Amino acid sequence: MKKSIASLSALLIAGSLLLSACSSDKGGNSANESANTPAASPTASAPADSGVIQASDLSKLPDTAKQRTDTIIVGLTDPSGAFTPYFHQSGYDGNVSSLLYTPLVTVDNKGVPIPALAESWDISPDNLTYTFHLRKDLKFSDGSPLTADDVAFTWTLLHDKAYDGDSQIPALHVKGGEAYKEGKASSIEGIKVIDPLTVSVTLEQPNASALTTLGSDVLSKAYYGKDYKFGQLDYIKKLHEKPVGTGPYKLEKFIPGQEVRFVANEYYYKGKPKTEHFIYKTSEGDTWQFLETGEIDFASFSATQENIEKLKSLGFVNILPYTPSTYGYLQVNLEHEALKDKKVRQAIAYGLDRQSIYVDANQGAGAVANIPSSPISWAYTEEGINPYKYDPEKAKALLDEAGWKVGADGIREKDGKQLTIHYLGSKKKDTDIFIAVAKENFAELGIKFEPEVFADFNALVSKVEGGDYDLASFSTPLLTDPADGLIQFVDGEIKGYDNPKFKELYDKGLATNDLEERKQIYKELFQLANDELPVIFTNYRKTVYAYNGRIQNLDVSPFNGIAPSLPDWYLQ
Amino acid sequence: MSAFITKRLLYTVVILFAASLLIFSLYALTPGDFITGNIKLTPERKAELREIYGLNKPVLERYAIWLKNALHGDLGYSMAQQKPVLTLFNQYIWNSFLLAAVSTFLTWVTAVIIGCVAAYKQYSWFDTLVMVAIFAAMSLPSFFIGLFLIKILAVDWKLLPPGGMIATGSQATGLAYVKEVIHHMTLPVIVMTIMGVGSLARYIRGSMIDVIKQDYIRTARAKGLKERKVLFTHALRNAMLPAITLVGFELPALFGGSLIIEKIFNWPGIGQLYLTSFGLRDYPLLMGFTVLIAILTVIGTLLSDILYRVADPRVRLQ
Repeated sequence: MKKSIASLSALLIAGSLLLSACSSDKGGNSANESANTPAASPTASAPADSGVIQASDLSKLPDTAKQRTDTIIVGLTDPSGAFTPYFHQSGYDGNVSSLLYTPLVTVDNKGVPIPALAESWDISPDNLTYTFHLRKDLKFSDGSPLTADDVAFTWTLLHDKAYDGDSQIPALHVKGGEAYKEGKASSIEGIKVIDPLTVSVTLEQPNASALTTLGSDVLSKAYYGKDYKFGQLDYIKKLHEKPVGTGPYKLEKFIPGQEVRFVANEYYYKGKPKTEHFIYKTSEGDTWQFLETGEIDFASFSATQENIEKLKSLGFVNILPYTPSTYGYLQVNLEHEALKDKKVRQAIAYGLDRQSIYVDANQGAGAVANIPSSPISWAYTEEGINPYKYDPEKAKALLDEAGWKVGADGIREKDGKQLTIHYLGSKKKDTDIFIAVAKENFAELGIKFEPEVFADFNALVSKVEGGDYDLASFSTPLLTDPADGLIQFVDGEIKGYDNPKFKELYDKGLATNDLEERKQIYKELFQLANDELPVIFTNYRKTVYAYNGRIQNLDVSPFNGIAPSLPDWYLQ
Repeated sequence: MSAFITKRLLYTVVILFAASLLIFSLYALTPGDFITGNIKLTPERKAELREIYGLNKPVLERYAIWLKNALHGDLGYSMAQQKPVLTLFNQYIWNSFLLAAVSTFLTWVTAVIIGCVAAYKQYSWFDTLVMVAIFAAMSLPSFFIGLFLIKILAVDWKLLPPGGMIATGSQATGLAYVKEVIHHMTLPVIVMTIMGVGSLARYIRGSMIDVIKQDYIRTARAKGLKERKVLFTHALRNAMLPAITLVGFELPALFGGSLIIEKIFNWPGIGQLYLTSFGLRDYPLLMGFTVLIAILTVIGTLLSDILYRVADPRVRLQ
C-alpha cells in the first residue's frame, strides 16, 4: 500500500508536469513572440495612409466610456513591471517606459531625427564625435535637474559588464567603452561632459544610427547611480517599479496583471499633458469585448475587411490604418547545396503566390514585400526592384537553368538528389494559409514540400540555429533606421551569406549622416538584396487602430507609437 | 498514524528531489533558451548574455546551483519579469486562489446536492433533465461558454463586467473594493462551476445509487429513521468516501491557476504568467512554479489518505 502510494504520487507529479509542459508549449508561442518583439504591441506601428475613418455615431458610446472625463485607457498585452529603460526584457514594458521617459533625440514619422530633450546636436566632419546640447531647465519627474552628467552616467552604465539588456549603445564602439567593460578603466574615455548642458561622445568607427541610439532616454544619476558599483547592477531591479523619468506621465500605480496607472508630469519639458490620467490596461487575448463595452478607449486589430466592417458598425470609434515598421521574410538555409544557387531562390520567389498568401487570404490586411525595408521608411524605394510577380513558368525555367530536371515521379532532381524544401513555421493562422498555398505552388514547380509547424517560437529559432531546415518564416523586430533591417545580412545572423559588396555598402550607409547620400546607398543595397535574395522577402502587415471618437489630437508615430502625441490628447 | 505521516514525509522529500531534477532537465533540454527568442540580438551578444545568466554551464551544474539557492529559500529572479520569483507568486497566486477556491466550493456544494437528488429520484424527470444539462455543459469547451456568457451578460445586457478583477482606474477601497471584486469574479466563477460540476455530480450520483441499495440503508429505514436522516447521514457519508480522495487532488488546482479562464476573463492569475514564462523559457519562474505544484500534489495525496481515514474508521494507515 505505502509503496504504491509513493510511486503513484511520483507518477502523478511527473505526469502533471509533462502535461503542463505540453499544454503550455501549445499556447506559449504568441505570447513569446510578442513579448520579445515590440513590433506586436501598439507602440510599434505606423499610419500607412492617413485615411482616418471618423466615428459615425458618437451617441452609441457606452456609458462607461462617457463617464470618464480626465482619464484615457489603452489596452496593452502584458506589462511586467520592469519600467527602467534599457533594462526591460519585454516590449510591453518598453511601451510603458516610453511614456515615462523622453529621449534626447526622437524621429519624425519618416524616421528622420528631430530634437527632443536635446535642443540640437553637432556631428564632427569625420562622423565620429557627437555633441548633444541639452535644453535649459530640464527636470526629472521628482523635480531634480537633468544635466549632462546624467547623460554621461546613462551611457557609462550600459557599458557595465553586468548589463544584460538589449540596448545597442554598447555595440556602437564608443572610444574606451571596451576598456571600461573589462574593468581596465574607471570611466569611458570617449564620453566627455563639456558643461552642464553639453555632452559629447566619440566613437571608434562611424555609425549613422549612433545619433538616435545614443540620443535615447536619460537616467538620473542621483537616483539610479546612487548605489552603483562596477559589475553590480542588481540594485536597479528594486527601482524598476519606482521610476524617475522625464516623460509626459509619471507612474502612479502598477497593479500586476491588471493596470499601469499614470498621472500627468508637471515637469515635462513641453508642459503638463492635457489629460490628467492615463491607464494601460493589461488585456491578454481578445480586446473586442473591452472596446465594445467602453472599458478601453484604444485598441489595435488586423486590417481585415471583416474587422473594419465590424469596427465601423460600432459607430463610436475612429479607425486609423497603419503599417508596422517591419518586414516578413522566409529565411533560406544557404548552407544547403540547392539553396546556395541564386536561381533556385529566385525560382521560389517567382513560384510562390505571395499575393494570394499574404494579401488575398488575409482579406487585404497585408502587402507583398520585395526589399529588406519597411514601406514607411524614408529609404523605401521601388526603383529598380524586381517585384517577382507570381510566374510559375519563369520559376520552372530558372530551375531548369539551375540544372534541376523533372524526374520520374514529377519531383525535380540533380545529381540523383531530389529537390526538397523542409519548411518551418510557428503555429498561427498565417502559417496554415502559407502551407496550404505553398503546397500547391511547390507541387506545380516539382519541388517536394515538407512543412513542419512549431507551437513554440523558441523551439523554432533553436531548430533554425541548428541548421535543420530549408525555409523558415520570420518577421523582423521594429525597424527604426534602414540599417536595422539590413544588419542580419552582415552580422552573421543569416549563416552562409557573405557578400563583400553588401558589407561595403552597409558600412558606407552608416559612414555618412547625409540623408540623400544614404538614400542612394540604400537603394543600391535594396536592389542587391532584391536580386540576390539572401532571404525571400514575403510581406508587410497591415493593421488598424480603433479609438474612442471623443479623443482629439491622436496620432501614432511609426517608430515611437503613441508616446509623442499622447501629451496633446484630450477628451472632447 | 504519526509513524505513517513521518514515513510519508520522508518519501515526499525523496520524491521532490527526483521530481525537481526531472523538471529541471526537461525545461533545460526543451529546444531554445531565454536568449534564443530575442531576435534583436547579434550572435556575439547572445553568447555574452548566456555567460551572464550562466546558461552556458552544464545542466547538472545549473541544477546544483538552483537547488542550493532553493534550499536557502531563494527561488531566484524571474528573467523576463525582473522580479524575485516569490514576489511574483505573491502578486499572482492569490488571485488564482480566490477564483479557484470559490468555484471549487460552489462546484462541490452543487454537485453533492444534484448528485443526491438525482440518485434518490433515479430516472425521474429531474434526473434526466439534470443529466442532459450536465452532459451538454461537459461537452462544450470552456472558452466557448466563457465567450458566450461575455457576449450575452457583459456586452449585450451589460449586467456584468467583461473581464478583469476591478473596474479600470477604480479607487475603491474596503467594502466597496470587495463588492467590485465579487462583481467581476461572478462570470468566471459561473463558468468554472459549470465546467466542474458535471463529472463530480455524475460521480456522486453513481456512488449514491450503489449505497442506497445497501442493506444498512434498508435497516435504517426499517428502524423508522426519517428519510432525510437516512439520505444525508447514512447514505451520503458512505457515498462520499470515494469522492474524498478527489479533495486532495484539488489542492494543486487551487493554486495552479486556470489558463483558459484567466485568459478569457483577463484575470490577473498565475496561469497566464506561467504560460508566458514557458514560451520565454524564464527558467527560474518555471522551476519555482512547477516545484510548488509538485509540493502541493504530494501534500494533496497525503491529505487524501488522512481524510480517508477520518471519514472511514475501518481504514488503517500504516
